[in-house]
Amino acid sequence: MSDHFSGPRAIADPTADIADLYVFPSPERPGHLVLVMNVFPAVMPGALFSDAVVYRFRLRPVTGISTGARPAFEVGQTEYVFSCTFAAPVQRNGSEAWLQMGTCTTPAGEMIFFRVNDEPGTEAQGLRVFAGPRLDPFFIDLPGVKATEKLRRLAFKAQGSNSLEGQNVLSIVVEAEVGLFGSSGPLFAVVGETMTTGKAPLRLERVGRPEIKNVVMSSKEFDPLNRDLEIRDLYNQEDPFHLAPTYAETYRARLNAHLAFFDSLDGETDWPPDEQGNHPLTKLLLADFLVVDVSKPYAENSCFEIEQALLKGRVPETCGGRSLNDDIVDSLYTLLVNGGNGPRIRDGVDQATRPAARRFPYLVSPNPNPPDLKAGAAALSAQPQGRAQ
Amino acid sequence: MIGLPHDTEPITTSGVIALLNLHRQIDGLESQAAGGRLTVVQRANLIDLLSLRGQLLSCIADIERAATLAKQLVGDAPTEGLAFLTRARTRAAFHHFAEALADLSVAERLGSERTALEAECAVIFQALGRYDAALVLRQNAVKHQPDFATLGALAGLQAERGKIAEAEGLFRESRRRYRGVSPFPLALLDFQRGLMWLEQGELHTARAWFSAAQSRVPGYVPALGHLAEVEAALGEYESAINRLRPLSVSSDPEYAGLLAGLLSKTGQRDEAGQWRSKAAARYDELVARHPDAFADHAAEFWLTIGADVKKARKLAWQNLIIRQTPRAYALVNLAALASTSH
Repeated sequence: MSDHFSGPRAIADPTADIADLYVFPSPERPGHLVLVMNVFPAVMPGALFSDAVVYRFRLRPVTGISTGARPAFEVGQTEYVFSCTFAAPVQRNGSEAWLQMGTCTTPAGEMIFFRVNDEPGTEAQGLRVFAGPRLDPFFIDLPGVKATEKLRRLAFKAQGSNSLEGQNVLSIVVEAEVGLFGSSGPLFAVVGETMTTGKAPLRLERVGRPEIKNVVMSSKEFDPLNRDLEIRDLYNQEDPFHLAPTYAETYRARLNAHLAFFDSLDGETDWPPDEQGNHPLTKLLLADFLVVDVSKPYAENSCFEIEQALLKGRVPETCGGRSLNDDIVDSLYTLLVNGGNGPRIRDGVDQATRPAARRFPYLVSPNPNPPDLKAGAAALSAQPQGRAQ
Repeated sequence: MIGLPHDTEPITTSGVIALLNLHRQIDGLESQAAGGRLTVVQRANLIDLLSLRGQLLSCIADIERAATLAKQLVGDAPTEGLAFLTRARTRAAFHHFAEALADLSVAERLGSERTALEAECAVIFQALGRYDAALVLRQNAVKHQPDFATLGALAGLQAERGKIAEAEGLFRESRRRYRGVSPFPLALLDFQRGLMWLEQGELHTARAWFSAAQSRVPGYVPALGHLAEVEAALGEYESAINRLRPLSVSSDPEYAGLLAGLLSKTGQRDEAGQWRSKAAARYDELVARHPDAFADHAAEFWLTIGADVKKARKLAWQNLIIRQTPRAYALVNLAALASTSH
């Protein structure tokens, strides 16, 4: 699954377990950028955000460098951070329901206060903010992924089954005016992180591109160097913009081995390694962030567009980043297996339980009753406001 | 040196949020399990979460549910080491130690990771009073990976072995290495530290650690129960009784038994009798269902407010046969003494 349950630490602390990160130009308000972080996979409505975690989005201007041996991104030093924190919940007027307040701090240090699960969201200082339970927009045929790994060939069915059907997450949605970034850009590298609060904050988890940890990195089967290492906990603690040298070779070895495995799945070699055995995508993917062009309009299935354009030495056609309805499993497998030189690879699942909307907060209402999927589906169909438009 | 909770406490999620989320997480996984949609890893996670909630809230139904799900998991995934490892945990919780060890052997054959197997083995050896064997495993784990979990587990073992100075240092070091935001692991650790000091008769230090555990997770029933026990030992009967009243409706009869004892001591004999009857009936029921798991606490109850020495003696011996810990020997001795004085 995308970044759900990405390692033992994430499983132990679900409120800090980032399931997904999305960044896309607003389809509703051109000139705005939407940042989405989903945490707490497979949760029931009623769950709350941790009051001991800082949920933050970090953005840095980035430039594609296509000269030299391998194309790469050069990340700028200016950083824009949107941090969200949450208070301990309270019960009011004898109600059993818990009320939780949150604070979003902008790169300029302005604070916007909002109420969790306030459907229209809060608008102030050029920002719109929403936080609360939503239907998980991610979709994947997990058995197909597992079978592919086990059989060492593409084993997806024509009609797959969404392993996340009907499941919920806790979402944070921040929509910011592009003008907040001044003259920086238009390309930005974006990461999502969960950090501990307090004087010496620790990184609990970080996410850039989808499926890097769970699909590309997690298996220990192909890595000849570190067969017994749960690499994801280490990787989660790294600063995405400054990979520490301590484990850099460990990550590189794991990626080289696994990327070669993916390349072999169609029997063709689309990504020949260099003399040192490095896979052509290793360096690019270790710079683990989403890349979005804020000057371009909203587009779906644009994930990896900027990376692919950089690799092929062409100008990106769409905004890149990652939108809520992107079929990233298909995009990722196509990139890794045939580099876009062959047919698009499909996992047999093409959309989430319900596609995301084009109106803020974009993610659709949570499934009120995940246990009984029939009842859940009935309740969902009675809420037309969440439909994609 | 006696350590107390201090100002530079690790910041963790509010216990109210964490417990609420634990309920929501279990509900979510249970619902998915009902639809047959969980992987083996997710099912094992659900079982562990139920066990955790059972432990925090003294909810026997949760622990029984975990055992049932673990049994089903082994049936559905007989080639998965994780299924056997998970069932071993639930079997150990009900003191079915031989069966739990057998599960660990199967898990080993199926390729489960050595560190997880050894940690579970150490839990069982410790519960059986085989401290030397447990110590080797716990020390190896610390040597291999000195983190919050391994240091805390070794601390608990040293505390039970009566090596208080070593245990205290390990508790401190374990705490220092905590890197998460979940309040549960720290609350469980602080509770163990409180138990150690209670055993040593250091009531004020014990109270500080039970309070620390209880502040981190306000609904932590065993921490509240032991706080009441400390208060009673300090002569603060009213406070202890007030603390125990809401706990006495728990499915674990320990609190009803404690409350009955305190009410009796303070002359409130009618109400004491009511709680005593409730606890007695519940102990009988639990001993019938899980004789190995409840022999210990039931014996203690019948020795004290339960006032049935014959029953206590039988259960104390039953407990000693299962595990030869210092506490089990002490219970048999107490029962023997009580028999002679009758």
